Amino acid sequence: MAHQERQVSVFRSLGARLRDWWSKMGQKSLEATPQKRVVIVGSPNVGKSLIFNRLTGIYVTVSNYPGTTVEVFRGRTYIDGVLYEIVDTPGMYSLLPSSEEERVARRLLMEEQPDVVVHVVDAKNLERMLPLTLQLIEAGFSLVLALNMMDEAVKAGIQIDTELLTDILCTPVVPVIATTGQGINQLRRVIYEVAHGSTTYTIRPEIGRGDSQD
Amino acid sequence: MAPPLIRYDPKLEEAIARIEECLQSSYSMSKRAIALLLLQGDREIEKLVEAKEGKEAADIIMQIVREMKVGGERSPLYRITMARQQLSEYIASKVVERFVPKPRTFTDGLSDWLIHPFFGLLFLLGLLYFGFYQFVGVFAAGTLVELLEDTVFGNYIIPPIERFFNWLIPWAWLRDLFVGDYGIFTLGIRYAIALLLPIVTAFFLVFSLVEDSGYFPRLALLVDRLFKGIGLSGRAVIPMVLGFGCDTMATLVTRILETRRERIIATLLLALAVPCSAQLGVMMATVSKVKGGILIWALFVLFVFLLVGFLTAKLLPGEPPRFFIEVVPLRLPRLENVLVKTWTRLQWYLLEVTPLFILASVLIWLGRITYLFDLVIAALSVPVQWVGLPKEMATVILFGFFRRDYGAAGLLDMVEKGTIDGIDLITTSIILTLFVPCIAQFLIMVREQGWRVTLAIFGFILPFAFLCGFVVRHLLLWLNQLA
Repeated sequence: MAHQERQVSVFRSLGARLRDWWSKMGQKSLEATPQKRVVIVGSPNVGKSLIFNRLTGIYVTVSNYPGTTVEVFRGRTYIDGVLYEIVDTPGMYSLLPSSEEERVARRLLMEEQPDVVVHVVDAKNLERMLPLTLQLIEAGFSLVLALNMMDEAVKAGIQIDTELLTDILCTPVVPVIATTGQGINQLRRVIYEVAHGSTTYTIRPEIGRGDSQD
Repeated sequence: MAPPLIRYDPKLEEAIARIEECLQSSYSMSKRAIALLLLQGDREIEKLVEAKEGKEAADIIMQIVREMKVGGERSPLYRITMARQQLSEYIASKVVERFVPKPRTFTDGLSDWLIHPFFGLLFLLGLLYFGFYQFVGVFAAGTLVELLEDTVFGNYIIPPIERFFNWLIPWAWLRDLFVGDYGIFTLGIRYAIALLLPIVTAFFLVFSLVEDSGYFPRLALLVDRLFKGIGLSGRAVIPMVLGFGCDTMATLVTRILETRRERIIATLLLALAVPCSAQLGVMMATVSKVKGGILIWALFVLFVFLLVGFLTAKLLPGEPPRFFIEVVPLRLPRLENVLVKTWTRLQWYLLEVTPLFILASVLIWLGRITYLFDLVIAALSVPVQWVGLPKEMATVILFGFFRRDYGAAGLLDMVEKGTIDGIDLITTSIILTLFVPCIAQFLIMVREQGWRVTLAIFGFILPFAFLCGFVVRHLLLWLNQLA
């Protein structure tokens, strides 16, 4: 049973890729200029690349960041007829870089002028991941928080109130399971909404105030 | 501008406000974020601000930053980090709910077994034997390669190409470039597709499967103690295992290591004592012709690996690596993800490495027609004869540089013709294994570590490989006499 399911999902994904490829060839997306840019950030080992692959399919270019050996992955995708460029960055723990990879990730954030920044976090370790989220909010990026590995979080007995988190951070939060592709469509939808300013998340600063001062 | 989410302590907030006032240009981040980075001592942002605001304004800003650092208080970096940490903890405590931890599952138990000093090792040996030796070594490197190389290439692909070039090019010297002993088609492409592709595919398949199961962090924990002794952390186990597939790719993957020192040690060990799958395949075919040959070869190479690692760790200045690895839960790998990963790695292999085979064929051809090779071979035959090997071995070793397995394949020919004996065979295999990496690995080393380090590694390996050959040969001769 399980074996059959896996086979089906391989074929489904191959089918999706073929369709993707076909529509791209039709629209000559490789020559077209992307209208919006999304930068994916997050600490290492949270599934950034998997989410990147899920979002972009197989048309991906890899280049070294100028003057470094750090690789930058770029891919493209259509959401509702709008061409998006998706940039996958090396892992970063904080906006204050301490390694070459983190430096590159920050430069990409600053130079690419992203319309949307997707912060991918490991839902099992939310507490350790939030400092970067706070910094990205502080820096004023249009942020989407992707809570990845929700399946493993549930297995570990962790439940996250994503609506409350959305309210506290005033940032859209999307639970995803990158390994199976669950939540990716919702993520695409939210990216689209944020990129086009059709959702507004008002800042509610009072939540943080009292607690960060002691 | 929306009000900020985090309020830092009043002194910090005052400094932030003063810095923000001084920032007149526009930045791709909020001025508050820029001010915070400056307060945390970020050099890159300092330079950016100086470029944008001019020297004078930058000096005023840096004065504010310095003021914050004096006094008996904790540094701004610490205070900022703590404030964020506290808010994160607070938010997490609001949104995260932990259930009663589930009873220990089967995977928890399995996880403990995998890092157990004895049973973990037993599992590792099992994995190496069945996953790598039986599947990659015997099935892919044996059965599949035989099918592809002898049957498909030998019978159906190479003969028509040879006929075509014989018809097209009347001059033998030029024809050699394409279909000679080391020609682009007869050696370069045949090797890339028929010999290496099946081996590398099988290896990447097993590697991705193991990677996705979450086994590597556990293996890293298991070998951390051993690796500390050779100046590496457990994390280095990933490039080291990958090296048995392709040393070139593994050299690239040393990037995951934290310090430059650790990367240099790993790069050296990969170049010296980690044979790649292609090489392993041919070694199995040659050295296994001698009784106990594989065992002597493997033990000696392992000994060199540990010895050189131990010595470099002692000699190379710098901090020993810190080890921190997140132990991910064990997962059942998903076939789809494993296939995609394997495919991505194969794509890399085909696009980046295959052209280098063709380049190698061209270089060998050039070297041969210009007689440059004869010079190098003459030079190499000095140490070869010093070790006590027939001087034809110099050719085998030189070609080994262009592809380590070219050299090994040359060796295979000599074994089949019966020109060398068992001891010579083991000696040469050891020299070939230790001696210089293939040209692709060499180029990647230059790219990753620069010329200086690469040449230093090269300069060490060259005499060292021959020295090892000398020691092994004389040791074996002596043992032979005793017996």
